[in-house]
Amino acid sequence: MNKLNGIIANIQQAGSIMLVDIKVNSHLFSAMLIASDEENSWLKTGNRVDVVFKETEVSLAKGLSGQICLRNRMLCTVKDVTKGELLSKVTMDFMEYTIVSVITTRSVEALTIQPSDEVEAMVKANEVTLMRTTNLNAKTQ
Amino acid sequence: MAIRIDIKKKMLSANGEMNLDINTTLQMGELITLFGPSGAGKTTLLRIMAGLVQPDSGHLEVDGETWFDSNKKINLPPQQRGIGFMFQDYALFPNMTVEENLAFAQDEKDNSRITELIDTFGLNEFRKRKPAGLSGGQKQRVALARALARKPNLLLLDEPLSALDASMRTSLQDEIARAHQLFGATTLLVSHDMNEVFRLSTHVVCIEDGGISKSGSPEKVFSDTSISGKFQVVGQVARIDKQDVVNIVTVITGSNMIVKVIAVDDDTQPLTEGDRVLVFTKAFNPIIKKI
Repeated sequence: MNKLNGIIANIQQAGSIMLVDIKVNSHLFSAMLIASDEENSWLKTGNRVDVVFKETEVSLAKGLSGQICLRNRMLCTVKDVTKGELLSKVTMDFMEYTIVSVITTRSVEALTIQPSDEVEAMVKANEVTLMRTTNLNAKTQ
Repeated sequence: MAIRIDIKKKMLSANGEMNLDINTTLQMGELITLFGPSGAGKTTLLRIMAGLVQPDSGHLEVDGETWFDSNKKINLPPQQRGIGFMFQDYALFPNMTVEENLAFAQDEKDNSRITELIDTFGLNEFRKRKPAGLSGGQKQRVALARALARKPNLLLLDEPLSALDASMRTSLQDEIARAHQLFGATTLLVSHDMNEVFRLSTHVVCIEDGGISKSGSPEKVFSDTSISGKFQVVGQVARIDKQDVVNIVTVITGSNMIVKVIAVDDDTQPLTEGDRVLVFTKAFNPIIKKI
């Protein structure tokens, strides 16, 4: 899974649906969640959280123009492309993080994605999970 | 109608000295699992309940009756506690038949109870046989029937199925569940098998380093509230198949559902078959349809 660490900048809520904005360095991410009582303790503005999303939920674009509804856009540099028969794994640098995307080999070829290319990685807000950041020295329980 | 446990006991474990410190109230009538790693104190707690091990201090009360109290110097001997035991090494009397083994466990002779148990556990054709002529699973059934022969208020089972193979274990799990329904004895089961916990228990108490780390229904205890994903299942990795640039991980969940998950190498690298895993996704992903 892709995992970035940030600080909750803002929470907007309608009923039990929440739109949470998280600042990772200077970059803003959004996560759409359903709120529940157990999480109220750590889902608060100013708290540190991990922003988590699956490789297969990361879309890639090259030279994108116009408007798009996806909230999370990361300008990345391609580090490595591993092509499989149907699926390919694209590994990218984004700030100090590594982002991995698994898309069809067909798309990799159509976009001619290769190392050192600039691409935009995108994730829908409702594909983003938040995890309470755990102190590495603390016990897991 | 409750089991009140508030006990302390200094123990020697593989990692040195450990303090068993348990304070909880459990409801009568439930099938409760004590879950946790080896050496955490599960078996010691069960032996304390049975009266085989004495706590250093504290109070133990079952269904309104005090079994142990260090201040009042009360310590009921095992035979006065109304308990039935079953351990991994079932320790049947080799010189007695199945029937005699059951009868020996009773304080007051009750033949109708023995017949009922023999019927319930499908032991009719073996009733005149001695343990040496029985299979492992049959011996374990006899041991379970014997534990129930004295009509215990509390049935204590210490990893009773860990020596059996998988299919025998599943069928005995069903027998334990059925015995619990039929005879209604409050059951405390020590286990470190999560499938067993989900299959059998209504309540699970997780014990780690001599203390209770979590307690509640299996679903509640094994879900993770530090993750916002609302769709969570706990299971064990059955196999990992490398396919194309990803892996297909097959997970068997606590309720014996088979789930397949796509994962990249970085996620599967720390996994091996048999590992416990949490599979989660968001409430936004599943699609619902009337059937």
